[in-house]
Amino acid sequence: MKSLLRPLLAATLALALASGAFAAAASSKLIVAFLPKSKGNAYFISCKAGAEKAAKELGVELLFDGPTDSNAAKQNEIVENWITLGVDVIAVAAENREGISTALRKAQKQGIKVVTYDADAMPDARSFFVNQATPEGIGQALMDEAARLLNGEGEFSMIVATLTAANQREWQKHIEARLKEKYPKMKLVAVRPCDDLKDKAQSEATAMMSANPNLKLIMAICSPGVPGAAEAVKQAGKTGQVKVIGLGLPNENKRYVHEGVTDTVILWNTGDLGYLTIYAGVALAKGELKPGAKSFKAGSLGTFAIQGDNILLGKPFAFNKGNIDQFNF
Amino acid sequence: MSRHFRELSVVGALAVVLIAMALFAPAFFQPQPLLSLATREAPTLVVACGMAVVIICRQIDISVGSMFSVVSVCAGLLAARGWPLLLVLPVAAALGAALGALNGLLVAGLRLPSIVVTLATMVALRQGLNLVRQGEFVNMPDAVQWFGLPQATGQWLLVGSALALLVGLGLALRHLAAGRFVYAVGTEAEAARLAGIRPQRVTFAVFVFIGALTGLAAMMNIVQSPQVQPLSGMGLELKVIAAVVVGGVAISGGRGNLWGAFAGLLLLACVAPALTHLRIEAYWEKAIQGAIILLAVVADGVRQRKQN
Repeated sequence: MKSLLRPLLAATLALALASGAFAAAASSKLIVAFLPKSKGNAYFISCKAGAEKAAKELGVELLFDGPTDSNAAKQNEIVENWITLGVDVIAVAAENREGISTALRKAQKQGIKVVTYDADAMPDARSFFVNQATPEGIGQALMDEAARLLNGEGEFSMIVATLTAANQREWQKHIEARLKEKYPKMKLVAVRPCDDLKDKAQSEATAMMSANPNLKLIMAICSPGVPGAAEAVKQAGKTGQVKVIGLGLPNENKRYVHEGVTDTVILWNTGDLGYLTIYAGVALAKGELKPGAKSFKAGSLGTFAIQGDNILLGKPFAFNKGNIDQFNF
Repeated sequence: MSRHFRELSVVGALAVVLIAMALFAPAFFQPQPLLSLATREAPTLVVACGMAVVIICRQIDISVGSMFSVVSVCAGLLAARGWPLLLVLPVAAALGAALGALNGLLVAGLRLPSIVVTLATMVALRQGLNLVRQGEFVNMPDAVQWFGLPQATGQWLLVGSALALLVGLGLALRHLAAGRFVYAVGTEAEAARLAGIRPQRVTFAVFVFIGALTGLAAMMNIVQSPQVQPLSGMGLELKVIAAVVVGGVAISGGRGNLWGAFAGLLLLACVAPALTHLRIEAYWEKAIQGAIILLAVVADGVRQRKQN
């Protein structure tokens, strides 16, 4: 009796362990696996909130797992596990573009649909990339917001991360193109790097203000630059007189937005990014979304344009005094 | 005069920069921005004092930037939990000293080269911090900024403390026995040993010393704004080593003083704001700083050849 009990117990245990996959095989519910760069990061947790909403609306099961730090090797490991588990869709924010692609190609071979979001993998390793913001979209949104705040007139300056970083150059190019095209009465008087350091951004902003007495606005296009510039403006007693906008995260800027130092923080709506990603993945799995499609409808968010194999989240989102407290990342 | 030629040449270069600014961009000399910029450099000065002592002792510590970040975040978290700053301050210094003691133990105890040891702790501390914080800022209560004092008072307090520390340490290094021990060990450890100094103890002590100063500096930094960026202090090691070397402290040990390091720091710190005022493209900033460092190193090399 005893000898019979043991294998029975082991079998029950194994069954319990495999129940995730088992339940999936048994029910017709699609399983969508959602991989962030790092699962403790508030940014991705806010993406996950949108993903959960979409999963609930679509009646699919959502798996959320990722490295505790931004670890490319660990991402591969998780994808391998999901392949073994037999999920239907994998959505990935790639830490390492090439690194993750091998595992994703393998998933595709097994019939798993793959989409990427936030950071793309190699194009042949996924069907679609849910692109949160094009450089053009970001550049135009920042420049338009600066012009709106200054009524299209006056001097402004920029703080960048470094003068050579590819994304920074790209954004800067689109900002300057928009400036030239639409706002002839605005003048960019200085561009200074802050090496991604808030403290250096503060020193740079301080010098910018004293060197340019007519400066009306500082635009920071790297996230630590926004609170750095804001602190400089505050210390100079120029709140309201020199406005601050930039590309950044709500939590780093809330206090300055509420104090009226920083007017607008531009980013994308991370919840919407997660939501759209899940809708795209599920539509792929159901065969409703096919390569070559020109647009795509995602639940309550409406229709999104598709450029090539990029589903565009669309216009960047502006965080300001009225809405910034609704976001926590 | 000739004994201090090296330090005086840095002061001379600084004077040239300031005169050029007075002529071409007098807006540089506005009290509020200058005080703000000086306040931002106050923590750097404190770390530079420590670095000068370490280099005079013929060692180097490239982990200061990472130590600075770790202490900043820990102190910020304590302040965010409502700890009184007067209590956070000694904790920050002690934490810095403890991290420095780790470097000191490895360098003095195991006789490992300091550049390798501190490279290892630099990377380990930085990555550890990234792992724990994921880059997330520490938000502190408003009362932390300027110790709850009015802004100008807080700024003067920080600048004043950094200068007082500079003068105190500069004099101590020159006149106290402990200070002379550092020069002796840095000049020739074996000779120092024969003279009854224990070189390994002195070496251990200078690492604890720079650690404590780095902890203090981190504290002087977090009270300047209501948030701590975990990346703060990144690159600090290069900044202070450059200042110290430009200021005439010989990288081969045994020579130099804090006054020179102070002048070197001021000279290098002037470059970025001066370029902004002169409307010269930021690309030049690092090139000019590099040229200043190169010039200083070449000057030292030439002098040493003459001496031999």
